[in-house]
Amino acid sequence: MTTQLAPAAPDLEVQAPRRPARKKRDGRAAAIYLLPAGILLAALMAYPLFQLVQISLYDYNQPQASGAEPLVFIGADNYIELFGDTQFWSVLVSTILFAAVCVVGSLLVGTGLAVLATRVRAIPRMLLFLAALGAWATPAMAGSYVWLFLFDANFGVVNEVLGMQGHSWTFERFSAFGLVAAEVIWCSFPFVMVTMYAGIKNISSEIIEAAQLDGATWRRTATQVILPILKPLLVIATIQSIIWDFKLFTQIYVMTNGGGVAGRNLVLNVYTYQKAFAGEEYGLGAAIGVVMTVLLMLITVVYLRTQRRSGWQP
Amino acid sequence: MATVSMPLRKKRRSPGRLVAEIVCCVIAAMVAFPLYWMVLAAFKPAGEIQSATPWTFAPSLESFERVLGSNGFGRYFLNSTIVAICVVALSMLLSFLSAIALTRFRFKGRTVLLVMLLVAQMVPVEALTIPLFFMVQQVGTSVPAFGLNQLAPLVLVNLAFSLPFAIWMLRGFVAAVPAELEEAAALDGASRMRFTWQVLFPLVAPGLVATSVLAFIHAWNDFLFAQTLIFSDVDNRVLPQAMRVFYKPEELDWGGIMAGATLMTIPVLIFFIFVQRHLASGISGAVKG
Amino acid sequence: MKIKGLLAAAAVGALVVACGPPQAANNQPQQNGNSGQPVGEMTGELKVWLFQEASNGPKEAAVNEAKQEFEAAHQGVKVTVEYLPTDGRATRFNGAFNDKNSSPDVAEFGNTDLAGYAASNGFADLTNDIAAWPDSKDLIPSVLDTAKVKNKTFGIPWYTGTRALYYRTDVFTELGLQPPKTLAELTETARRIRQSKPDLYGVAVGGKYIYAAFPYIWANGGELAKQDGDKWTSGLTDPKARAGLKQYSELLKDDICPPAACAQLTGSQSVAQFAGGKAAMTIGGDFNRKAVEAGVVKGKYAVVPLPGTEAGKLAPPFAGGNLLGVFGASKKYTLSLEFIKLLGGKKYQQKMYTAMGNLPTFKDVQEQVASADKFVEPFVKAAQSGTKFVPATPAWTKIDAQNIIPTAIQQVATGGQSVEAATDAAAGEMNKAFGN
Repeated sequence: MTTQLAPAAPDLEVQAPRRPARKKRDGRAAAIYLLPAGILLAALMAYPLFQLVQISLYDYNQPQASGAEPLVFIGADNYIELFGDTQFWSVLVSTILFAAVCVVGSLLVGTGLAVLATRVRAIPRMLLFLAALGAWATPAMAGSYVWLFLFDANFGVVNEVLGMQGHSWTFERFSAFGLVAAEVIWCSFPFVMVTMYAGIKNISSEIIEAAQLDGATWRRTATQVILPILKPLLVIATIQSIIWDFKLFTQIYVMTNGGGVAGRNLVLNVYTYQKAFAGEEYGLGAAIGVVMTVLLMLITVVYLRTQRRSGWQP
Repeated sequence: MATVSMPLRKKRRSPGRLVAEIVCCVIAAMVAFPLYWMVLAAFKPAGEIQSATPWTFAPSLESFERVLGSNGFGRYFLNSTIVAICVVALSMLLSFLSAIALTRFRFKGRTVLLVMLLVAQMVPVEALTIPLFFMVQQVGTSVPAFGLNQLAPLVLVNLAFSLPFAIWMLRGFVAAVPAELEEAAALDGASRMRFTWQVLFPLVAPGLVATSVLAFIHAWNDFLFAQTLIFSDVDNRVLPQAMRVFYKPEELDWGGIMAGATLMTIPVLIFFIFVQRHLASGISGAVKG
Repeated sequence: MKIKGLLAAAAVGALVVACGPPQAANNQPQQNGNSGQPVGEMTGELKVWLFQEASNGPKEAAVNEAKQEFEAAHQGVKVTVEYLPTDGRATRFNGAFNDKNSSPDVAEFGNTDLAGYAASNGFADLTNDIAAWPDSKDLIPSVLDTAKVKNKTFGIPWYTGTRALYYRTDVFTELGLQPPKTLAELTETARRIRQSKPDLYGVAVGGKYIYAAFPYIWANGGELAKQDGDKWTSGLTDPKARAGLKQYSELLKDDICPPAACAQLTGSQSVAQFAGGKAAMTIGGDFNRKAVEAGVVKGKYAVVPLPGTEAGKLAPPFAGGNLLGVFGASKKYTLSLEFIKLLGGKKYQQKMYTAMGNLPTFKDVQEQVASADKFVEPFVKAAQSGTKFVPATPAWTKIDAQNIIPTAIQQVATGGQSVEAATDAAAGEMNKAFGN
């Protein structure tokens, strides 16, 4: 039972010693150490989560919240309504595909640039890191507007340079999704890059030199020596990216003007917002929230399973 | 960060490196371009904003004046800073203790707790605003300082929502401290408390700083909780609420938006630059130590 | 282990069902004073929420004047005004409805939001007190109707917003055109303009500009929804409504206003296109005047009421506008009422017109304003010809939030669906929101 699901990177070098005799004493100490965070999370996360499940079983709108109407228990009706909505399923599919593109994109760009950063001298590397940190630091709302401004049909610098004034990047479905994905990758690759860079720096040069002395090519060294060592880090970066990109809201909402023409650029979180929260149908919104959490859990579990099957050990 | 370079390549001067460096600089410029454009648009005078000229000869502060001149900007800036700093400080403390418990102690249910930390990040926050609203309202009837329209509950809520990720990240730093150190300390008769604060804390400190930046961003950018919990007290509102005036999809005030975005980004960027050394090398440093 | 788990599950299940989700304490509408007895406190701080405008200065100046006058007349009263961005207002208002203790006293709000607010018992019922107010007989009846839900009045109409057709006088003169006399002619004129001047949109309208689309439905004799007792049903599948939507969607074509640019435009964005000199016509409100004057078309445009389906008829405009109301949870009912009677009264409506160009809601003040300023004339003419409003039910908030009608317009405009299919789907969604 003590196998970790996904340990942080450096775990691989140092395993905390296993001493069953200490377990009991450890348990008590752990309880004390965990107490402050535990209380906070139980009160502000677990309990509201429990209430969320409750709300999802009621006909709960703004009049119910403000006490103007009595509460009516409706069981699974909110869930039935949701699953019966064909739009929900099509939005779900585009959310998964869109999130997949963003996750893969940030991982590729982030890892690629991390490798690049280890192979250049200090000044170019510093420039790259500064730019990346800037992108990371930009609030989502600001970043979305800046990108929208860059790609503006008439005044945008991109159209000016490409000589295609008047072309709208946000009209066609795939072009709009692509633009948003580019913005998302822009602001989320730095996390991957910084993590992977630290991971690569962390590999002792002896290991690599030893491999090269054995006659391994650079590619072989990369895939057979470096990659396995980086894998735990990659797994973490992937899980985090999945969680973030699946829950994307601001970028889609701002850049496609609330979900694109006739809602063809909706993703789950924006759909939830328009279907439930903007119209103040909190019961339905809570149901979608519960479904989304369960879905994300499933995706994460499946991902971790495949990782473990492919030989990854914590 | 400026001192490290790939040890493997130290001696040989590869012809590919120059190419790599050029590519690196070009990519850095591309990544930085949207930011440059943001700052540029903030400084452009009103008439020039919608032109694609990549410079301006008549930089103007009028957009900044419009943003800064809006009612109570200084107050909101201060409130946001207070909230962010409190969240960062508390998040460092709580995530440090929790990360120790989750990496260095063996106990039943540890895996469950770890999974719960992940699950906690999966809940769409919009869905939780209603329960949180009523909870804060309830608390406020007995402890007014933690009630609605106060900054304290905002700190706690932002803390709760940035904590799971902070703990998750920090586990790596804590686990990296060699177990021999702990054993040595135990042999010396140091108590667990002493070991935690006198040995672990200094070693994990860079990691703490690094993870705190994420808590900072979280608290600094939060609009949803602020809007929900601080809905009727003008004096306790925070920066993103004030910025919202300029983010109107109806009539885009590009100059105002870009000036506001610049002002919102600068503190985060300063914080980042301050901690980036630890962010990038903290993990490896901790492991080697 | 298994039994334990089952027991735990059962316990959680019981808990979920036994104690319901959180809810504000029972919030019944308060009983208002009859017979001139003041209700609630008459001193202290009066908290007022008004909307923040693009250029808020003139509004603040006018409101400050009212505030000073009110404070001078009421000893021990301090009026504090907060200006809210319209974006994100729902959270603020819902917070005030859910927590009575920190509720402000007075608020400005859009008349399309009223039905939802009333369903939450958010605002006080002012019916008797408004009826007893002598000035109220001068309020334009169709405008006062927008402050009513189920025959109860919840606010004083502060100003109305009416839309009409803006057109470029220089372009029309150059091409020898006349302002259109019917909606069909409008389409034809717009097409001809874009043919001769391909860099101009014939008319700038948008797929999200529902208040430009509604007059098309109404002019064709359609309705958004029909009321039968308490029950509403969508009227979009009616052939007349379909004809209106189709006619509007025809404007969003490459030969008038290309969907790639126009399908996503909202009202202000459409007007911005016109103000920026990119369109020969647009449908704009009296409140858009400042934006247009600030653009390159200043001095090169004129306004006529939006025509109907036949010459000589007008398309009924949407009766937009904002109200001033008293929060249900206010502890200073009478004082708040006094304040909105001052700020929403004739004197300050006149001042707000001068400051912001907001069209007054009193018939006499409106006429007075129209006779002094030629610009206002077409709007007043359109307004007085009979305005129409969205269904006064809380379901409208939902229909609006879910973008049901813009989606239908966009589907037709981009050729994704036929009018029949798009309106069928939209009507289905609407009826679901109505609870049918």
